[in-house]
Parts: sequence; C-alpha cells; structure tokens
Amino acid sequence: MATPSDTLDKVGAGLDALDVPVEAHRPPIWRRFLKTGVPPIIAFALLLGVWQALWASAILPEFQLPAPVNVWNELVRSISTGEAFEVLWTSLHRAVFGFVAAVLIATPLGLLVAKVRVVRAAIGSLLTGLQSLPSVAWVPAAILWFGVTPSTIYFVVLMGSVPSIANGLVAGIDQIPPLLPRVGRALGAGRLASARHILLPAALPGYLAGLKQGWAFSWRSLMAAEIIATSPQLGVGLGQYLHNGSSLNDINMVIAAIFLILLVGIGIELLLFRPLERAVLRARGLTGAL
Amino acid sequence: MTATLETTVLSTVDTAVELAGVRKVFGHGSSAVVALDGVDLKVRPGEFVCLLGASGCGKSTLLNIVAGLDGATSGELQLNTSRPAVMFQEPALMPWLTAARNVELALRFAGVGRLARKRRALELLELVRLGDVADKRPHELSGGMRQRVALARALASTTVSADGAPALLLMDEPFAALDAITRDVLQSELLRVWETTNTAIIFVTHDVREAVRLGQRVVLLSSRPGRVVREWDVTSSSDTVLDEINTHLREVISGHAV
Repeated sequence: MATPSDTLDKVGAGLDALDVPVEAHRPPIWRRFLKTGVPPIIAFALLLGVWQALWASAILPEFQLPAPVNVWNELVRSISTGEAFEVLWTSLHRAVFGFVAAVLIATPLGLLVAKVRVVRAAIGSLLTGLQSLPSVAWVPAAILWFGVTPSTIYFVVLMGSVPSIANGLVAGIDQIPPLLPRVGRALGAGRLASARHILLPAALPGYLAGLKQGWAFSWRSLMAAEIIATSPQLGVGLGQYLHNGSSLNDINMVIAAIFLILLVGIGIELLLFRPLERAVLRARGLTGAL
Repeated sequence: MTATLETTVLSTVDTAVELAGVRKVFGHGSSAVVALDGVDLKVRPGEFVCLLGASGCGKSTLLNIVAGLDGATSGELQLNTSRPAVMFQEPALMPWLTAARNVELALRFAGVGRLARKRRALELLELVRLGDVADKRPHELSGGMRQRVALARALASTTVSADGAPALLLMDEPFAALDAITRDVLQSELLRVWETTNTAIIFVTHDVREAVRLGQRVVLLSSRPGRVVREWDVTSSSDTVLDEINTHLREVISGHAV
C-alpha cells in the first residue's frame, strides 16, 4: 500500500514530467532564409527599379540623378583600385576606436548616474539633453580647440556616443525589478559583487540597446566630422570621399559614398548587434519580438 | 540523498533566533504606522515555526528584520545561526542564469571555489529533485520548479558557514502564488528537505491549514500593530487545533471591522 507521501511524490514527478519544456522545433535553413532574407532583397530590387525608371524618364538632369549602372561602375572602379578599402579602413578604424573609448567612458559614468543620487541630480538631465544635441554642432568648437587633427574627429565621436551609451545603461538599471538586488543582499552580496553579478547582467538588455544606439551615433558623428573637417594630414575617410565627390560635381561618387556608409551601418547591425541582442534576449526567454 | 548533505553540527545553544520586544515604526509623527509592537519570539535550532496572521500584521516586516534586510526601531534580535536564507513569494531567480548557476550565485557570494560550487549546487538541486533541469533557464521551468530552485538557492546560502552554526531559513509565503496541487507537492517537498537538513525554518503564511501541516509550532500575530497573540504546539496536529486557530484568526480580523 502506498503511503500518502509516496502518492505525493508520484504527483510531483507527474507534474515535473508535464512541466518539462518542449524543445522548440527550428524550421530548416532555406525556409528561414525565405522568411527573413527574401523580403529585403525584393525591396532593394524594387527600389533599383524605381530609380532606373526615374532616370530613364529623364525628369532630372544627369548630374543630379545618375544612372544606377554608372554608380555601380564607380563602386567597381573604387574597389578595383583599392581606394574603397583604404577609405573604409580609415573610417572604420576611427569609428571602432572611438566607440570602444566611448564604452569605456560611458559605462562607469552610467553606473554612477544610475546608483549615486547626487550624481544623477547633478548631471542626469544634462546627459539626456546632450543626446538631443547633434554632435556635429561640436565640430566648429573642436576645430578651434584641437585644429584639424584626429583629436577633433575623436572628440566629436565621443560627444555623440557617450550620452547614448550612458543613458542606455541608466535606463537598463532603472528597469531592474527591485526584488533582484534584494535577493542579492539576502544572499550576502556586497556593493561591488551586487553590481557585477546582479545589476550589470540585469541591465544588459537596456545597456545593449544603448550600445547599439551609441554605435549609430558614433558612426554618423564620424561622417559629419569627416565631411566638415577635411585636411590632407587626416587621410581620406568615407566622409572626405563623399566631400571630394561633391567638390568634383561627381554625383556617381557621391551616391557611391552614401551606399558605402549605409553598407557599414547595416553590416555592423547585422553581423554584430543583431546576433548579440538575439542571444541576450533568447537567454532570458524574451523571444516575443524575434 | 541524505548522506551527501553536511547537516549542521548540533549546537549547544538552544535558541537559534531570539526576538525580545521588537518594535518597528514606519514613518514619523502623526503619520507613523506601528507595524510591530513588542514581539517576543524564540526559535530553537532545527525548529519549524509558522507565523500566522492576516494582512497588515507585520509578518513580512518581522521576517525582513530577522533577515537583516530591515532594521528594528527598538528591541533586540539575537541570531545564533549562520547567515539566514530568505525565500520570497516570487522565486526571484536571475533570468539570465541557469538553474544551477542561480544556486551557485549564493555560494559565489560566500567565496566558495568554482569546483566546490558546482558540486554543491548540483547536490542541492538533486535534493529538490531538479538535477535533470540544472542547465535550464528560469523561463523554461514551471512556477513550482522555479520555487524549488529558489529553495535550493536559499539552502545554499544558509548552509555555507564553516563554523557549524545552525542554519536558518526564512520563508515569506513562498507557495502562495502556486496552484493547489503544486502547493501540496511543494509542502511535502519542504518537509522532506527540512527533515534532511535540520534547518530552522520561520515560515510566514496566512493559510491556517498550511501552517498546521508544516509547522511544529504556530504563532498567531495580531494586525496593526503586530503582536504575538497566542502560540500552539501542532506536532500532533488535529482538527480541533485547526478549528481553534481558525476561530482566533477570525477574532483578530473581525476586531478591525469598523
């Protein structure tokens, strides 16, 4: 005869068996490609078609609206001469270097603003305000301070991305359920251990959103700085390339430069931030938006 | 499983927790609310005490004071135990960590080495019969399973001390948010764990049946301000005790009708 506790054990085992999560079945790769890869390709093809049609109708003169094939030829030319890689490399390494520096500055800054009341009262709204100030507004001042040097460019990039990253971290920390740090205290976590093992990981989704925005801001700040602050000693980045195209009245070069700028933006998003964000959200079971 | 858990050494001290005249006031001046008014309570090592009361009796406040998450306004608290572990109504697991890592977190804060942490976490998960899902994350587990992981984590945080002080587990209505069958299973699970680990437990609930089933002793608190009204020894629980406690609880509550 079964004792009551045996019966309960069985009920418990039954509950567990019913509760064991069912592994989600992933569709085959070609179907996923069909779902996520094909729509943007179609959209791009449509855009090209409209462009071609507009050009063929000759409403706008050739120096304003180039033929798609001419822009393509310019791209092929700059790639085959190696100019495109040089230009991309100059800009990308500036952007990455500036972004990493921004992360190193903004992370402790965000932690301070989020956790120290006086600091938040003092510079919290300034930090939010700086986010709405276009960082290109810093270019004239930076040129007066640093001259047309790499320092000017890095300064503008930092002013663009630091507020976004810091604000993202603050928002991430503000949204942590208060029970989690409490549990941490009950488990005996000190201030530092709590920051490292509870606050930072709990704030990660918001932090990541801030990083993503910070990257976008540092990339566009960089382009603005490069277009305005041109000088032979700075080397040719994407912004200067675009600027040169405009000076030469070469619309093919201008459009090609815009394509390259977009390409980097989309490439970094798809190769770096999208997978990171997915991994973070999936680990927390927040797959609703994916 | 009984052999793998290092149960705490029987201490010569015969009280694990002692509260004397504990008073807690929230706010100041005319808007001040007295949550606890002179609460005296003794818990022996390894004893299972249920704190029973209606809303507003300061059960949770009392637990927070014992846990060290909140300070008493006046009165004395003496703990002869290792760091008290706390379990809340919600499991409050870290959503980015697996079940095993959640349990390990408590040990990490106590400075336990990596390997020892891993081994101990798995032991504790086995104790609550969740060894198979150690690598699952909270969102992949059911409510009852999550609460068992929380129990394993709480046990991890209270049994780490090396000085052999008795362990103490504080539970704040941990099963209130679960469905009836799961609650039933978890109650028996908790009793089994308690018998295996010899941990003193202070269990807060508003459910008389639960209190009588789980506890050795039931302590009834009055509401606003919270005071100890009466205590019952319920080791040999019978329906008469249940009815008696119910009657007293009703009296306490109806005393507040305007």
